[in-house]
Order: sequence, then structure tokens, then C-alpha cells
Amino acid sequence: MLVFRKDWREIRRNWLVILPIVGIPLIFSVLLPLLIALVPRVASLPASPLGGLEAIVNNLPSQVRVELAGMSSRSVLFYLTSLYFLAPFFLIIPLLASSVIASDSFAGEKERRTIEALLATPLSDSELFLGKILVSFIPSMIVTMISFLIYSVVVDFLSFSVFSGRLLLPNITWILLIFGLAPSVALATIGLTVMISAKVKGFKEAQQISALLLLPILLLMFGQISGAIIFGPVVVGALIGVFAILDLLVFRLGLRLFRREEILAKLA
Amino acid sequence: MSSIETEGLTKRFGSLTAVDHLSFEVREGEIFGLIGPNGAGKTTTVRTLACLLSPSEGSARVGGYDIVGDPLKVREITGILTENPSLYERLTAYENMGFFAEAYGVSDPQERRNRIMALLEFFDLWDRRNDKVATFSKGMKQKLSVARALVHNPPIVFLDEPTAGLDPQSAKEIRDMIEGLSRNEKHTILLSTHRLEDAEKLCSRVMIINRGRNIIVGTIDELGRRVGAEPSLAIKLKELNQKILEAVRELKQVRHVYPDDADGRLTITVDDVYSATPEVVRSIVYANGMILSVNVVRPSLEEAYLKLVKEG
Repeated sequence: MLVFRKDWREIRRNWLVILPIVGIPLIFSVLLPLLIALVPRVASLPASPLGGLEAIVNNLPSQVRVELAGMSSRSVLFYLTSLYFLAPFFLIIPLLASSVIASDSFAGEKERRTIEALLATPLSDSELFLGKILVSFIPSMIVTMISFLIYSVVVDFLSFSVFSGRLLLPNITWILLIFGLAPSVALATIGLTVMISAKVKGFKEAQQISALLLLPILLLMFGQISGAIIFGPVVVGALIGVFAILDLLVFRLGLRLFRREEILAKLA
Repeated sequence: MSSIETEGLTKRFGSLTAVDHLSFEVREGEIFGLIGPNGAGKTTTVRTLACLLSPSEGSARVGGYDIVGDPLKVREITGILTENPSLYERLTAYENMGFFAEAYGVSDPQERRNRIMALLEFFDLWDRRNDKVATFSKGMKQKLSVARALVHNPPIVFLDEPTAGLDPQSAKEIRDMIEGLSRNEKHTILLSTHRLEDAEKLCSRVMIINRGRNIIVGTIDELGRRVGAEPSLAIKLKELNQKILEAVRELKQVRHVYPDDADGRLTITVDDVYSATPEVVRSIVYANGMILSVNVVRPSLEEAYLKLVKEG
């Protein structure tokens, strides 16, 4: 935890890093549910209650389909958006929140020329690698959970009026998503970003390459919107298992590829 | 007893050989200078010995530990001042020291605090301990970097260009502090520098390297002798006359006498400066000369260095 404490001390004194960590989750957790609630009021909705949403509705569990059958189009849209469409965004929050710190982990130390003294210490490779992962992971998970809390309050506040006193969140899928899937996805992508950061010369290069790691999550999001994949407890549970294995592989690969000499060779 | 021993140490980067079969030893408690022009392989040698780079060929032991087989042990018993200050600018001086103390295994908080306080006081930085390093001058950062290298009281210290880029006053301050620390704490210091003044004032022995190769190892005097520059005697007299000159020239040990009438100074080269000095002084006194000062002038390292690097 020594590297974590040192890095966190530096980060919390840098507003340029803190702002995206705090700002992005706020946008996701407050503005998005407000938009869901407000758009149906100003936009004309299709005549059919399920207009255009059949694909996703057909893939939902039967009891949910029965429930939706009696709802107005505004309620269906609110229900599907707040519980299903926006769920993958909560996998993106930790990635966006950690992107700057993880990309900066080793590349930033190279740019600021502090890496040589750090690598000369007797800290083991795993202490250095894990410390750099944790300093991205812990803050990003804290903001993800706070965002989830805010999101739940906003969604429940709106659903209270839309569904006559019914509260939509939290439910089992979302609890698995926030406390299981989001951390395991975050660990894998942060681990890969830290590995990239150790291999490249500078922060910008690390951030550009690590942006590619968003692609699988975006695919999940589009899969959900198109109805190809529906986040239910089983799907989320299976994804947690897949990503947990991936986390282990990334950590082992990261340590295997961690070469002090190579990191030093990339000094600009 | 040797603190550092290398045998045919070689480091290649692709087709470039940065360190070429270096063999040398650094004795316990000495300040050993590694001098050479830019690109000579000094920093690569230091980085290899500090286990930041692995050798392409050859071997080295630091504090008795093999740099390839026991890198963690080597890191534990060495401190390093890197080519750049390598300090965290958003952290305070105390926080920087605290982090590295813990990283080097100084786990007892009281011991850590005492050590940091002693070093920061020694380097005149204690009053600025709670200031961010970003607000420090270049000289202060360099002092803090040297302090950081010593925070775990390592028996062996690598100092890579400790006075590079500093103004003469700051450079002298750092030099004096290194000298003081070496005297008080008995570290073995490997000092890499291209500032001959540093090597001349601090090192008991030096090694000149060029293009990664060892040109010569020895004391400053030995280096001087190698290029044919023996130590000489410089004697300042109240008045210089022919009688004195003849008296000195008659001495067996005297090889050449260079008089400077205007300044009343005699520069004398002899076979052995230390055994010849009493004879020379006595002869001047018998010739009624009034001696104002007697100095042994050592050959300049610069002179030896330039000649050896050119030859090498």
C-alpha cells in the first residue's frame, strides 16, 4: 500500500486529475436519469406502448414482460432505460474515472523523471504493479458506488411518481452489477492500462492506446440496447466469473511483463 | 575489503556497447570517482551496479551480493542519487523522504523520523520540510536527492553527477556536504562525474572511462605520474637571487628549477617530492634565503584526464 499512499497523496493535490474523477460520475448519475424522465414529456412517443422496443422486451424474463404489458409508453421507456439501457454506463464510470490515473501510473513517472529512483528501491515488482493498480481502482470504485447511490435516489424519486409509489432500485441485478461486475471489469482494464503505461514513453500515448479498452464495454452497451444481451442476475453473474478469471490473467501477465530495464529504456 | 567488485562488466544496447569489459574494485569506506566525458558509460555503469539494468556480459558484486542473482539485496544496501533529482514535486520534502525511507525498509516510525530529521538538518532543509518540492531551487532539490539516497543509511551509495547543472556555490556546498557525510557515516561512495573538481576534491581514487572502457584507475598522483606530470615544489621567497638558485640546483634529487624573479617564486621538480623537501628548504636557508611559503603542487587531474581521454 506504500505506492498507493504516495500516489494518492500526489493525486489529491492535482485538480486536473480530480475533476474528471468527480465530474464524469456526476453527469452519469444525475443528468442521465433526469433526461430519461424529461425526454418523454417533450418528445412524441410511438402509439404502441412497446413501439421500437420489441427486441429488448422480447428478451426480458416473462414476469417483466407481463408487468410491462399494462404500462404506458412513457412508463415502459422510463423502466427500460433506467433499469437496462443505462446499466452498462456504470461499467464505463470506473473506466473513465480511472483512465487518467492508470495511464499516468508509470508513463507519468517517466515524463516527470521520477521513475528511476522508484525502480531503484527494493520494492518488489508486485508491490509496484499492484500499488499502481490500486491507486486507480480504489478511487474509481468509490465514485462508482457513490454514483450508484445518487442514481438510485434520482431514479427512485422519479419512479415514485411514474409507478405510483414503486421504487425500482436497488435490485439484485444492479447489486451484482455494481459490487461484482463493475469492480472485476475495472480491475482488468486498469491492469491492462497500467501495463500499457509501463511500456510506452508518455501519458498521452498510454491514454490513447488504453481508450481501445472501452470497446468491449461499448459492445455490451449496444448489445443491451439492441436486445441481444440482457443484464439479468444470471448474465451478470456469468460475466463476473469471466472477468474474475481475466483479472487473474491480467495480473499474472502484468507481473511477467514487468521489466525495470524496459521501463527505464522508455525514458524520453 | 572490497565493497564493489566488477569483472568484465559489459552492457550493450543493440549494436552499441555502452560499458565495455569494465573490471575494477571499490574499497570499503572510500570515495571512488568514475570520471569521463559525456556518453562515456558512467551512468550505465551506475545503473547496472544499482540493478536497474542487467549486464550483457561479465559480473559484479555489490556489498558481497551478486547484481544478477541477488538484485533485491543489492537494492536494500545501496542508495542512489540518480542523474535527475527524481523527486515528487507535489509532495513535501518530508513526505518524499518518508516514502523512500519506508520503501527502503525503515519501518519504525520513530527511527524514520529521527533519520529524516538528522539528514534534513544536515542539508539545511529542516525548516522547509513541509514545503512542496516544486517550490525548491535546483540546489535544494539536489541536496534533498542526496539526503534521500542516504535515508536508510546504506553502506554503499551511488552518486550520479551530484553537482551537474549547479552554480559554483551550490556545487561547492553539495561537495562539502558529501565530504562531511562520508567522514561522519563512513559510506562507500561511487561518484560518477564529469566535473574534475568534484573528483579531485572528494575521491581517494578515480577511474577514467571513455567509450565504456577503463582507461586507468588510480589516485590523482598516480594518474599524474602516468602522464608524466610529477608533483612539484612551489617555494615563495622574500627575495630570489643567484646564490639560492645555485644552492638548489646542486642538490642531487633536483631535476629542474624554474625561477620566477618577478614573483620571487621557485618551482622545483624532484624525484620524490616528500623526501626532497627538507633538503631543498635547508639549502635555501643556508643560502640566506627567506622562505615565505612551501607548497607541494600536485599534477592537475584535468591535465591527466585530457591526455588520457585523448589517448584512450
